[in-house]
Amino acid sequence: MNYFSFYKDGKALYCLIFTGIMLSFSSTFAENPKRLIKSISQQHQVQGTVTDGSSPLPGVTIAIKGRSTNASISDYNGQYSISVGVSDTLVVSFIGFKKALIPVQGRSKIDIVLQYDTTTLQEVRVNAGYYSVKESERTGSIARITSKDIETQPVTNVLATMQGRMAGVSITQTTGTAGGGFDIKIRGQNSIRPDANAPLYIIDGVPYSSDAIGSGQTSTIFPTSTSPLNSINPETIESIEVLKDADATSIYGSRGANGVVLITTKKGKAGKTKFSLTSSTGIGKVTKFLNLMNTEQYLVMRKQAFVNDGITEYNPWDYDVNGTWDQNRNTDWQKELLGGSSQISELQGTISGGSEQTQFMINGNYHHETTVFPGDFGYKKGGSQMNLNHRSENNKFRIAFSAGYNVQNNLQPAFDLTNEARFQPPNAPALYNADGTLNWENGTWENPLRNLNAKYESKTKDLIANTLLSYEIAKDLTIKSSFGYTDLKTIETRTSPSTLYNPIYNVSSMRSSIYSNNTNRSSWIIEPQINWEKVLGDGKLGILTGATFQNQTTSTLYQSASGFSSNSLIYNLAAAKFVSILQNDETQYKYQAFFARINYNLIDKYIVNFTARRDGSSRFGPGNQFATFGAIGVAWLFSNENFLKNSSWFSFGKIRSSYGTTGNDQIGDYQYLNTYTTSGVNYNNAIGLQPSRLFNPDFAWEINKKLEFAIELGFLKDRIFATASWYQNRSSNQLVGIPLAGTTGFTLLQANLDATVQNRGTELTLRTVNFNKGNFKWSTNFNLTFATNKLLAFPGLESSPYNQKYRIGEPLNIVLLYKYKGINPQTGIYEFEDLNNDGTTSFPDDRQTTANLNPKFYGGIQNQFELKRWKLDFHFQFVKQTNRSFPMGPAGMMSNQQARIAQSWQAPGDNAPYQIFTTGYNNDALMANYFYSESTAVLTDASFIRLKNISLSYELPVNLKESSCKIMLQGQNLLTFTKYIDGDPEFTTYGYLPPLKVISLAVQLTF
Amino acid sequence: MIKQLTKYPILLSIIVVLSSCDSFVEVDLPNSQLTNTAVFEDYSTANAALMDIYAKMRDTGILTGTNMGISNQMGNYTDELMASGDPSNLSWPFYNNSVLPSSSNVAEYWNASYNQIYAANALLEGTEQSKTLSSEDKKQLQGEALFIRALLHFYLLNLFGDIPYIKETDYKKNSTATRIPTQEVYQHIIADLERAQAILPIHFDNPQKVRADKYTIKALLARVYLYTKSFAEAANEASSLLNQTDLYSLEDNLSGVFLISSRETIWQFQSSLAGQNTKEGSLFIFEAGPPSITALNPLLINSFATDDLRKANWTKSVTDGTSVWYYSYKYKEQNATAVSKEYSVVFRLAEQYLIRAEARAQQGDLIGAKEDLNKIRTRAGLPNTIAITQQQLLIAVLQERYWEFFTEQGHRFFDLKRSSELDKTLSGIKPGWKTTDSLLPIPQNELSVNPNLRPQNPGY
Repeated sequence: MNYFSFYKDGKALYCLIFTGIMLSFSSTFAENPKRLIKSISQQHQVQGTVTDGSSPLPGVTIAIKGRSTNASISDYNGQYSISVGVSDTLVVSFIGFKKALIPVQGRSKIDIVLQYDTTTLQEVRVNAGYYSVKESERTGSIARITSKDIETQPVTNVLATMQGRMAGVSITQTTGTAGGGFDIKIRGQNSIRPDANAPLYIIDGVPYSSDAIGSGQTSTIFPTSTSPLNSINPETIESIEVLKDADATSIYGSRGANGVVLITTKKGKAGKTKFSLTSSTGIGKVTKFLNLMNTEQYLVMRKQAFVNDGITEYNPWDYDVNGTWDQNRNTDWQKELLGGSSQISELQGTISGGSEQTQFMINGNYHHETTVFPGDFGYKKGGSQMNLNHRSENNKFRIAFSAGYNVQNNLQPAFDLTNEARFQPPNAPALYNADGTLNWENGTWENPLRNLNAKYESKTKDLIANTLLSYEIAKDLTIKSSFGYTDLKTIETRTSPSTLYNPIYNVSSMRSSIYSNNTNRSSWIIEPQINWEKVLGDGKLGILTGATFQNQTTSTLYQSASGFSSNSLIYNLAAAKFVSILQNDETQYKYQAFFARINYNLIDKYIVNFTARRDGSSRFGPGNQFATFGAIGVAWLFSNENFLKNSSWFSFGKIRSSYGTTGNDQIGDYQYLNTYTTSGVNYNNAIGLQPSRLFNPDFAWEINKKLEFAIELGFLKDRIFATASWYQNRSSNQLVGIPLAGTTGFTLLQANLDATVQNRGTELTLRTVNFNKGNFKWSTNFNLTFATNKLLAFPGLESSPYNQKYRIGEPLNIVLLYKYKGINPQTGIYEFEDLNNDGTTSFPDDRQTTANLNPKFYGGIQNQFELKRWKLDFHFQFVKQTNRSFPMGPAGMMSNQQARIAQSWQAPGDNAPYQIFTTGYNNDALMANYFYSESTAVLTDASFIRLKNISLSYELPVNLKESSCKIMLQGQNLLTFTKYIDGDPEFTTYGYLPPLKVISLAVQLTF
Repeated sequence: MIKQLTKYPILLSIIVVLSSCDSFVEVDLPNSQLTNTAVFEDYSTANAALMDIYAKMRDTGILTGTNMGISNQMGNYTDELMASGDPSNLSWPFYNNSVLPSSSNVAEYWNASYNQIYAANALLEGTEQSKTLSSEDKKQLQGEALFIRALLHFYLLNLFGDIPYIKETDYKKNSTATRIPTQEVYQHIIADLERAQAILPIHFDNPQKVRADKYTIKALLARVYLYTKSFAEAANEASSLLNQTDLYSLEDNLSGVFLISSRETIWQFQSSLAGQNTKEGSLFIFEAGPPSITALNPLLINSFATDDLRKANWTKSVTDGTSVWYYSYKYKEQNATAVSKEYSVVFRLAEQYLIRAEARAQQGDLIGAKEDLNKIRTRAGLPNTIAITQQQLLIAVLQERYWEFFTEQGHRFFDLKRSSELDKTLSGIKPGWKTTDSLLPIPQNELSVNPNLRPQNPGY
């Protein structure tokens, strides 16, 4: 373990770094020394140990009452020392414990025993965006995870850290390729338009657009265009709050319909400058493969197919069976092409500290991972995060600055090899010739590794910065304003070199081509606010008003080039014979709003919260730009009523409810205009102009009405804490690209659809401290969500373009299927219910059986054990759902199949689960196979329980003051229990790399 | 509370000022877009809108020379071509005559064509409303747009059977369009072509014949009349073209037929960039076997007379030692050249000779028919036809078209279909052939979004 030797030998280094950092921050401390010297003469040093009664507590803040300039923090062994005056009082505070006030009374050694305070969880302030609220006093529905949950996970995407940990938040990984995306739905699908269901992301107060930055021509490796969310580094996050109900989201108005994800980065804390270094290394592998045929099974299938089709002589192109290829070869192509290990390494360094007035935190990080595909590919990510907080001596003026800069460099094959690995005949030839070159088997084989010559490369740089200034004009009146800025630059390329083609075709680099995408997006936001708080009668009144001005500019340049004199010049557009500009555009999104919150808290029992927002968006045409949204939330803390106040077992009780409206403007920019766009294509000396879209200026905001009831209960000093909530969201005036008949010239029209979608669900969370005595602590977190989604109303569905996609009373995420009957024992061909009795399987009349692909319930259970220096944390995610098996096309053609397909119909009278093989000539079988892939026969249980995360950590006994060294073993997706028959059950689109299971070892040094 | 706030009038006024700027959310047009009205104020932008339709027809949908266009796919569908390569090749379902309603290729024919038709209709409406375009310019642009509309409907009709004829841009009407009988579609096509013929100027600056002119319209009219069995009109239109000897004549040398400067060409698609040649050349030519997409069907190769110059000039063979493959060598440039040499030809004079030969034979003018047929045979180095009766002559013309127009925009399929020879010719040699394969399926998605298009074509 070389990390330790680094630690020992690194002491000198440590001193050096420390000195350097101290020097660089000396100006920060410059104002303090004088005052210190003045008072030191009257002071003496107090030492001691802080414990919880049995074991020492590190990190406890020991301050002196009435003097904010002096504070100390206990070291790993719980020891502290601080200079005090004889008559001072120590203020000892630590999260999870009751604050202790201890008069010094001249003593020089004070050992302190802190009492656990389970109720302080209720004191935690939860970030609600424009304001923060005490956990006990919140009226809205807010789910939260903190750095504690995030740090145990070896993942790079912020959404991955939330999977299975929040009730009502369903997250699905779309591809296992590094740099890929996740699909998130907060309380279900509200909009009929699938890509308009993204939540609003706010990072340290700055809205962060999650709109794709990739282009269809370049980011072909991913199922969806590249998402910018990968730029956020999970390790720098302090907490993620997800706002779910109307009370919490209405203040975000038009952008709150799909929920709001608030990300808060880590901040520095007052005290000694702390250094922390974390290094980890791990490997990742594909979770699950499909069970495919081996050569023996495959050749039996192929030969039978020829017999079935009545073909006695193999065609010259049937290489797999006609003797051209070795029929004794057997390659597991999934193992060959997807079975590699991804090497993952990561390094994080953080320096934080500061005085009572000024705190800072600087983080630097680097992450590198290779792929499971063959070849030299990798994903690199590096970044830096900085936070600075300062307040004036009189505490009236405050400034908080945060900035994050992240650079990503992703090099992957241009296309995912997953499908190629699944369809490749198992007796296909060897990948390489004896001399190490690619084997094309005399031109009879498209070597799958040719795809590695086509490369996808993306370079993304992303800056997010925010400054928050506030000034306390009077005791209860504060004005503040935030100024945010984001700047994202991405360059993506996809190459298609001549080496993709079989060399015998003699394709020269003149046929090589490249697509490139330069997308830049920058935005600024200014949000001035006034906050007024006043004790009014028996209650507290809080009023917040503010305004938002936001401007976002996105510029894109898509180019393609072909005809290179050499493939090594392929990245140089100047070396190309032909260069085309496919798109060069700059779009602008402007957004303006006024918002307010009025909160009244009567004797800590009755709380009412009004929020409202008036929004204007440039995405709508004149006359439709403005709309108003609002909500009311109420809470009753009945545990504060006299009849329960002194209960020994009942510690907390709250009933809350909210109702309100939010909107959705995710339709893209300029959709209301009637325009022509340059096509970038030349014809007869003119650059073409094409109609942009069908013209419809009259669309407006989508409206989402949310209702929620919840109860929160705490027992036995909150050692058992449960919440149950019921919600109902109704989205109407659906704003969608309506699929239109091709005869209109377009396939989509932007319009409001008079349809209503309802999401309803129940969310349960339970947090228990099962055991907490001495050195051993065991706690459990559980969340469970039952959700239903229903299309309530859709006037004219029958005659609308959606008539074969949706059904009233059914969820949006249904599929319409043929009803599978079985195999005709005489012909050996699949048969389906003939609903319209026309004697044949016909579309659409016979494709009318619906199947719901939404999860029936989902959730997670997390257990944490702490024993002395050991800590074990494991988290299971579970999803109950139905999905479709993977369709591999008609069996019998030159393409592999699932092993189960071997049980096919052979002769009249057979009773087999799969139909007759065909080489492609049996039309009836081809049609039937197609119907089969859209029939009830392919529905299968895709539920799973996944050991999403396991983390074991051990604090090394280090005899150095205020230092710690922690070793962590972390695993992601290590175990999956599922009945799903075709590989990993977590996917959104067929044919992409499944999620990886990752195991990593990390060492964290803090000193 | 009010009292408290009024202490800070500045703050209040800031809020008030901020709340009054509604114009904040107004944005300028993006720099890649022009309003519809602006496009048709000016000839150069209106012309750019028209040129884009030509470019789209060249690059997408039915007439494109890529593997998805009908030159390749309908060639595979009949006895012109033979699909090859791995199972992902989009030509396999066409070669096996097992095209499914869910085929993306079929959807592309439908959607791309109607998108191009929309653009043509938008141009017709936009130029009509324009107050600044000269009437000369309007006529020229509208004539070409009408031709494009007729041409695309012609191909859709022959691929899909009864189809809607779309004449305006109103999506409310077009989204529920109904299929109209074949004869009605032809009436619309002819009406559009006649109007186009009437308004298009006789000569305009079109040296490379990359835009449709009056004679292109005649060429399509001749074909439409032939398909609708109006043989006298077909012969007339063909004659009026064949008489333009100062403009068009057969190229004596077969190698020159598909060059840009060919005197035989009536209308061709220009390549998108200087130096580029045709998509057909890139698609069909291969230098080693087996081919990755398609090769000429051995049936075609074997049917050529040994001394047919078209076999020597327009096909080429490749061998790996044991097997031999042939490819269409009409276009000789697979890659770019310093200066473009070939464009994709859509209408050429040879077709007009064979249209007139067939029309004359149908009308009983057997001598005239032979004369036209022999023109094509002579150029191919073949002796005069030995056909004597009307029936023999019609068969000879059909056969001649097979040799002359292979891999050109699906002529073979349309010829066999209109002469009711599909089943007879293909059922023996194409194992997957069924009578109902004479029509492609209406794309499944279209049936689901527009119930008026139902029922599906028979057999799907």
